[in-house]
Amino acid sequence: MSTIAETASRDRTRRRMRVDGWRWAGRIFLAFMLLYTAVPMIWMLITSIKSGFAATQFPPQWWPDEPTLASYQKLLDPQNSVGQDFLRFFWNSLFVSTVTTILSVIVAVPAAYAFSRFSFPGRNFLFFAVLLRNMFPAVIFLVPLFILMRVLGLMNTHGSLILTYLTFGLPLAIWLLKGFYDNIPVQLEQAARIDGATRFQAFILIVMPLSTPGIIATAIYSFIGAWNEYIYAYTFLSKNEQLTLPVGIQRFFSENTTDFPGLMAASFMMSVPVVVLFLVLQRYFVRALTEGAVKH
Amino acid sequence: MAHVVLKDLVKTYGTFKAVNDVSLTVNDGEFVALVGPSGCGKTTTLNLVAGLTPITSGDIVIGDRVVNDLDPKDRDIAMVFQNYALYPQKSVYKNLAFPLQMRKLPKDEIDKKVKEAARVLDMTELLERKPRELSGGQQQRVALGRALVRDPAVFLMDEPLSNLDAKLRVQMRSEIKRFHQDLKATIIYVTHDQLEAVTMADRMAVMNGGYLQQYDSPSQVFAHPVNMFVASFIGSPAMSLIPLEASTANGNTVLTSAEGWSLQLSPRNVQKVARATTKKVVLGARHSTIKLHKSAIPGAIPAKAYTVEPTGDVTFVQAFLSGAIVNISVPPNIAVAPDEQIWLEFDQERIHLFDGETEMALKAN
Repeated sequence: MSTIAETASRDRTRRRMRVDGWRWAGRIFLAFMLLYTAVPMIWMLITSIKSGFAATQFPPQWWPDEPTLASYQKLLDPQNSVGQDFLRFFWNSLFVSTVTTILSVIVAVPAAYAFSRFSFPGRNFLFFAVLLRNMFPAVIFLVPLFILMRVLGLMNTHGSLILTYLTFGLPLAIWLLKGFYDNIPVQLEQAARIDGATRFQAFILIVMPLSTPGIIATAIYSFIGAWNEYIYAYTFLSKNEQLTLPVGIQRFFSENTTDFPGLMAASFMMSVPVVVLFLVLQRYFVRALTEGAVKH
Repeated sequence: MAHVVLKDLVKTYGTFKAVNDVSLTVNDGEFVALVGPSGCGKTTTLNLVAGLTPITSGDIVIGDRVVNDLDPKDRDIAMVFQNYALYPQKSVYKNLAFPLQMRKLPKDEIDKKVKEAARVLDMTELLERKPRELSGGQQQRVALGRALVRDPAVFLMDEPLSNLDAKLRVQMRSEIKRFHQDLKATIIYVTHDQLEAVTMADRMAVMNGGYLQQYDSPSQVFAHPVNMFVASFIGSPAMSLIPLEASTANGNTVLTSAEGWSLQLSPRNVQKVARATTKKVVLGARHSTIKLHKSAIPGAIPAKAYTVEPTGDVTFVQAFLSGAIVNISVPPNIAVAPDEQIWLEFDQERIHLFDGETEMALKAN
């Protein structure tokens, strides 16, 4: 009789141990992921405050003997040719990414709203076409888009990049926002329209404020996509004064020497806007990504 | 306040007819319930009146204006939604003020009206809260407040009580009724709950399949349903509908069942049966008009009790007759056991007779 109780309790312990085992595996996995993402960032930061000599020493200095901000000063100094280049690339990236973001929100908001609220001929087909683009890797479109841009006379302009980034960013932006609008009860707009608003006012005064998290998420997504993009920027632009950061940073590699601290300092500064943007707005981003998934 | 006229109203979606030739008049200050099962077109009809859905054909008149092509905002209506549709980002005060702001009223007047509405609905202390911080009943009250703050010509209500729990629903039901009596408001109220319609409305429009079935006062609809649908939809438990066949022998018309028994008819009911298009006649009887006997008496139909449901002040007995469920209510002091042999006596004055083919009520001359 006692054996039954014993078996039962042993079963319970075993079950608890199994659950604990999974939980620990999860923790270890997360810790590993943290190291995997954080260590390169930390190493980048440490290298950026080393001198050129210290950066290439072996065995490496885990913490530089003489930390220096010289690389940062050089990059941010408009008098210096390196600084001039870096600031120009930074500005170019900022310009391209910001314009992409603004245009993408301006187009995605009404498009997503239309997909969510109106039924019009070809609605499903169009929505599928929007998603279809996402089935192919971006590189596939490199040559066609190159030819297209040349025909359009957009070679060596920032416009070519903005157009390309919109092509790639908009489908997901529209899809993301549509999920958001789907979750806003249509009765809210109806109530507003009965309360005296026009259809447009109902959208601006009631729907827009409610979809702010979605719009912010869309904006972050577009901005990061444009900010990080390399291959198209590398292909479409050839003039030095037009380059964006991901391409421009390559300048730090040269035939004989590579300025590793400079490269790392530039990389670090390049990641700052993205990280800041993400930290400030991450709760909206998470909300936006989960909101569409859960039915209320 | 104003009257509302719907004339030959039609709404089609592709080939699907959601609303078919609905015509009815709502008098100034009248409370009309649109009632029917889900998908019967009652909410679509309300949306047509509101202007949220464009009409396919017909006319809608509010007051003395034809409003067919007017935007909802220009129809001088207010609407209460099933999910309340309170603006989640706005406080109660701002929810109530919104319709007034949209009409560009001066600030102090808005303030006065909002506070007055809050006082009437007893929610002055809730004004600064957000909708999500309110209980269901309070949200419902805010939705009502937002409708009445503007003093519209017509109130449209789309199942405003169905998201509330049973107890609150009964309470809000009498509050809305009181609200109607005090304001003398014209109200069109959509519900699938026949009890709400019967208890609140001056007149009720019973709809099914996009068609208006019957439009009359609740007592008339209850006493004289025009067809089998209305008969079975209004009243709870539902009216029992027993399919029978009319037969005449020696100049004497009776209704016979496939089970072998037959029912004698009063002269008036014989007249009705004579008007049926075929021999098929459906006998309708409400639970309270059927007498249950525990021993055979002349004219009573033998049956077997199937289920017995005591509710406290009345006990409902179900039995099968001619394959149809029959509901009978008996006083709680009469004990009936399942499978017990019982005899059912129909009250000739209060039974309903329907044409088995057209499902329409049969009328005497």
